Amino acid sequence: MIYYLMLPIFSLVLIVFQTTILDLFFLGKMGFEVSLILVVYAGLHLDVMKGGILAVVLGFFLDCITGSMTGFFIFIYVVIFFLSKVVSSRVYPEGIAFIMGFTFICVFSKGIITILIYYFIYDVDLSHNVLRIFLPQALVASVLSPALFPIFDRLEVLLDAQSSG
Amino acid sequence: MLFPKKYQPIIIAFIFIIISVVILSLNLRQSGETYLPRKLVLEAVTPLESIVSSSIEYLSNIWGRYIFLVGLEEENRKLRKKNASLQKEVNYYQEMYLEGMRLKKLLALKGNVDYPSVAGRVIGINRSSVFKTILINIGTTDGVRLGSPVLIDEGVIGRVIETSWNVSRVLLLTDYNSNVDALIQGSRAQGVLQGQGSKGCILKYVHRSEEVQAGDKIISSGLAGVFPKGALLGTVTKVEKKKFGLFQKIEVSQAVDFSKLEEVIVALPDEDDKK
Repeated sequence: MIYYLMLPIFSLVLIVFQTTILDLFFLGKMGFEVSLILVVYAGLHLDVMKGGILAVVLGFFLDCITGSMTGFFIFIYVVIFFLSKVVSSRVYPEGIAFIMGFTFICVFSKGIITILIYYFIYDVDLSHNVLRIFLPQALVASVLSPALFPIFDRLEVLLDAQSSG
Repeated sequence: MLFPKKYQPIIIAFIFIIISVVILSLNLRQSGETYLPRKLVLEAVTPLESIVSSSIEYLSNIWGRYIFLVGLEEENRKLRKKNASLQKEVNYYQEMYLEGMRLKKLLALKGNVDYPSVAGRVIGINRSSVFKTILINIGTTDGVRLGSPVLIDEGVIGRVIETSWNVSRVLLLTDYNSNVDALIQGSRAQGVLQGQGSKGCILKYVHRSEEVQAGDKIISSGLAGVFPKGALLGTVTKVEKKKFGLFQKIEVSQAVDFSKLEEVIVALPDEDDKK
């Protein structure tokens, strides 16, 4: 229960942190999405209900804060979450190489889905951003993901302990 | 249980995906007022963003002004401290002076425009690579409406795409979703100015027979009824005519440097329009 109570507050703080402080580190040239790495982590470690709700809440807050239409990030995050979920049932998701590789694939897939949504809905071609934005974004996320996964592990343990306590 | 336990995760996953697709498609059809959950999130985030921004500014000030002084001789430290405090005072007065100048410009702009307007302060800039928006500290209680044009003395910034009671989101000219009916000032050729993210804007649908040169000014045509006619949008930076095709490719640099925005003017709808 504590998990579901803490979820909106934690998600909102994480998204604000991501869109303010982290953006400053990257000078606004490239969005570094901790929230997306968290969704990948949730897909590999959390059950379907907990992770699914986390993906929806994170997506909704990101939609509100970035100004995109509601449902844009919700859809992308839910798809990435279930992609991770499907993979987690078939592999051992703990090795550093796997985490890096899989995060890279997920973040890059997010870029491709963004391009497709923009192309089919707005008739805007964002494909020129693949090498300039989405590929560096996926590389940075994959390099940093092994450092973030243990933090998410600890958070999960903390919330579980509070729930059972 | 309705379904066997083995299939429950798949069914839940299916339901989540269906929900997200439904939300996305519903929002594609609606382009009206900002609804309550988004307004609440916007209102909740604004103080949080303000706290983070002011903390960052405070820390960078401390780092810049004091940390590097540790380890110097006592007298030197005192003098530097005094100097720092004087500098802070000077900075404060300079800031006030500059703010006064900006407000004076805004007031002059307000006086020049023949429609009601309200001034606001920029409280957040979305620096992400795809979405180009800013948050301003005025909302529906100040009279701001969806689609209201936002400008400063140098030119057009964009239009309001989301409003809450005390906050509004402005879609910048450089956002990929921004399309503005435009004119080339000299030749009066018409086109549509579309955002291109960090690359600026392009002017689309200008016939290849039109004479366009780098340096030509692009102004709003006033046709769509959103932007006032003649407001400066940008300057042509590059013109490319391919061997084939009806139109030429025109790259445009926006008139306003969006990274330095502090105060803006929002044009309000006329009383007649409201009715």
